[in-house]
This record gives sequence, structure tokens and C-alpha cells, in this order.
Amino acid sequence: MALGELERAVMAQLWAAPAPLTVREVHDRLDRELAYTTVMTVLGRLAKKGVVRQERDGKAYRYTAASTREQLAASLMLDALGDVGEDRTAALVAFVDQVGPEEAAALRAALQAAPPRPSAMPEVPQPRTDGEQSGPES
Amino acid sequence: MASVWLAALALVLAGPVPSMLARARWPQRVPRAAIVLWQAIAVAAVLAAVGSALAAPEELLRALAPDQRHGTPTVVAVAIAAVLAGLIVLRLFGVLLLLAVRTRRRRARHRDMVDLLDRAERSALIGGSGTESVLRVLDGAVPFAYCVPGRAPRVVVTEAALDTLDADELRAVLAHEQAHLDARHDLVREGFVALHQAFPVLARSRQARDAVGMLLEMLADDAARARCSDTAMAGALEAFDVTGDSEVGARLARVRSRTCGSRTLATGTYLAAAAVVVVPTVAVVIPWLAVALPAAGVLR
Repeated sequence: MALGELERAVMAQLWAAPAPLTVREVHDRLDRELAYTTVMTVLGRLAKKGVVRQERDGKAYRYTAASTREQLAASLMLDALGDVGEDRTAALVAFVDQVGPEEAAALRAALQAAPPRPSAMPEVPQPRTDGEQSGPES
Repeated sequence: MASVWLAALALVLAGPVPSMLARARWPQRVPRAAIVLWQAIAVAAVLAAVGSALAAPEELLRALAPDQRHGTPTVVAVAIAAVLAGLIVLRLFGVLLLLAVRTRRRRARHRDMVDLLDRAERSALIGGSGTESVLRVLDGAVPFAYCVPGRAPRVVVTEAALDTLDADELRAVLAHEQAHLDARHDLVREGFVALHQAFPVLARSRQARDAVGMLLEMLADDAARARCSDTAMAGALEAFDVTGDSEVGARLARVRSRTCGSRTLATGTYLAAAAVVVVPTVAVVIPWLAVALPAAGVLR
């Protein structure tokens, strides 16, 4: 199975779960023939990308999505809209570069909606190792 | 005189010319040729500025008496020229490089996230209807479509866009995005974004960037019109244009009036683009070099 599809499936489980999951729990919920270590690798990759948060719980690690599906989708759309003022990098090309005021408000509201955890960042999560990464825009 | 001419040319190409061209309506009839003209103007303006900086000290020196030409003044004058010309070039390339790195990093990141969020069941359904690139569907209530250019491009639409557009309109939107990706319109945009970031104040670089941005959209509109239909393209633009945005309005008016290019106008525009670069070179730079090089002892 392609790595991308696997990552998507793992994220779907984390988004659906009410509480942080261990690797074993994710593995059991993924209704497929997968090695435990594969799931661990995928979770590690997702954590490195900053979309999954890892926390220590006794001997095991528990994993949770860094932002909700809606927040992530909204932040991507704002990124594509270049909703960051003047200094666009033209990384993406939108069909129309503006949406209606109601839509824009809805997107921003989605970002500010109660995060899954108090410390969740309502932005496109950045890789944790990346010191000087510019945000959606800089 | 060459340095004065070149400085004047650089000023004209950086100021009044972009202002006029950005206001003109005729470029919208020949977007491709007009983009080439914008690029020619930008290149000519930068070259003229660099040329002027290089020519000035040489001409000053030549005006001095022969016995004054050697020693410290020569060194200082040449150094100033080199630094000025170098600053212009370095600034532009430095900004371009930084922008290229940031753009690609941001894009890779965005592509990763879009892949994670894809509603695979819906993108599989519409896959193959008008696009060769990997298609992604985001959930969300805002109708929206865009593309992520690069070596592994993505075309992204939201579920709301799928619900808003009919099949023909969707095909037109996908064809529009595919045209951006195939022709690497992002590279053209990147050049003008860099130009604006490098010289944000003195030159009318913002007008250039925005005008070229709109012309690129129109170029992609034309590709979609050719592949689908004027009606589908107009319908798609209407569906997205909830803001009454003037750029979308201009694109819509163009599609509705079935604007199609004029070969004469396009040819004239290409000739103008060539002239902007060639004429100053032949009329100013070559005569200057013909005098300056022998004087400097390069060609005896």
C-alpha cells in the first residue's frame, strides 16, 4: 500500500478518536494487515511533519492529531488564497484569488474553533525540526 | 552619453511604461504576447540600469585628460561602477534564490497536507475528467479551486466547488488549472514576484506583477475555453465570483464577449517586445562599447 494512503488512513483514525491513541490502538483500529512497526514508522513520520503530536504516557507514547481536519483544511485554503497580505510567494495558483467575505470569515472561524488541545497551533503545522521555516507566509 | 541614455531608459521602463501598460485594455486580447512584452520590459529595465552604472565611470574617465586617467581615480571609479552594477544584479538574484527556496518548501509542505486531507472517494470519482495531474478534494464549505505547481503537481478542489459546479464547468476549471501546470505559469509569476520584492519602491514592479498575474489567468482561461467551451468557462467564473472582484469581472467579460486574439496585434506586441531589448542595445550599448573598449585597451 502506498505510503500516502497509509498516512491518510492513520490520520483518519486519529481524527476520529476522542482521546490520544497508542501505536497499538492505532494498529488495531486500522482494519488491515500491517506490521506494528509500520504503523509506528508512519506515526513517526506524521509527528515529524508536525501534524501529529507525540506525548509520553508512562512507558508508551500516545499520539493525537495536532489540529482538527477542518482547521487543517481551512489553513490550507487560506494559504492558497494568499491570505497573508503583500508578501506572497506565489507558491500556489488559485482559480480566483478571493472568496466572499462570508467564506473568508468562515475559514478564519474554522481556524479559531476550539483546538483539540489547549496548545494546538491553528496554523499549517510546521515540521518541528525546522528552525527558520517561514509560516504559511513570512 | 551612453550612461545618461541608459539611465533615462531604465527610468522610463521602470516607471511610466509599466503604468501605461497596466492600464491598457488591448493586452487582454493577446495575453501570451503581452506577457512576453512585460518580460522584455523587465529585462531591458534591469539591463539598462546595470549598463548605466557600468558606463558612467568609464565615460567620466574618458572625458579626463590622458595623464589623469591612471592611478587612484581610475580604481575608485571602476570600483564604484562595479559595486553599483553588482548591487542591482546581486539583489535581484539573491531575492530570486530566496524566493525559490521558500516557494518550493512551502509548496512541498502544502502538497503533503493536501495529500493527507484528500477525500479519496470523491477525487477518484472525478479523476480523469479533464486533468492529467493528481487531483485532490478538500472538504469544506467554501467553493475553491487551485493548483500546487512543481514536479509533482496537484490540482485541488473543495467539496463545495464540486457541489456548485456542473460537470462542464468542473471540466473547464480543471482544464484551467492543468494549463497553469503544463505551461509552468508559476515560473513566470515567480520572476515578477521576485522583481517586486527586489525593487518594491522605485519601480512600478507591483503593477507589473499584478498585470502579469491577471494575464496568466486569462491565458489559462483561453486554454480551458479551447478545451471545453466559452459557456462552461463563463459559468465556472460566475460560480466562484461571489466578491465582484474586478479581476474576475475582467476575465468574465472577456469570456462572455468571446474575445479571441488578433494575429496582427499579437505580432505587433512580439515585435515591440523584441524592440525594447534590441533597439537600446544597437543604438546605445554597441556604439559605447565601440569607443570604450579600444579606449580601455581591450581592442586596439
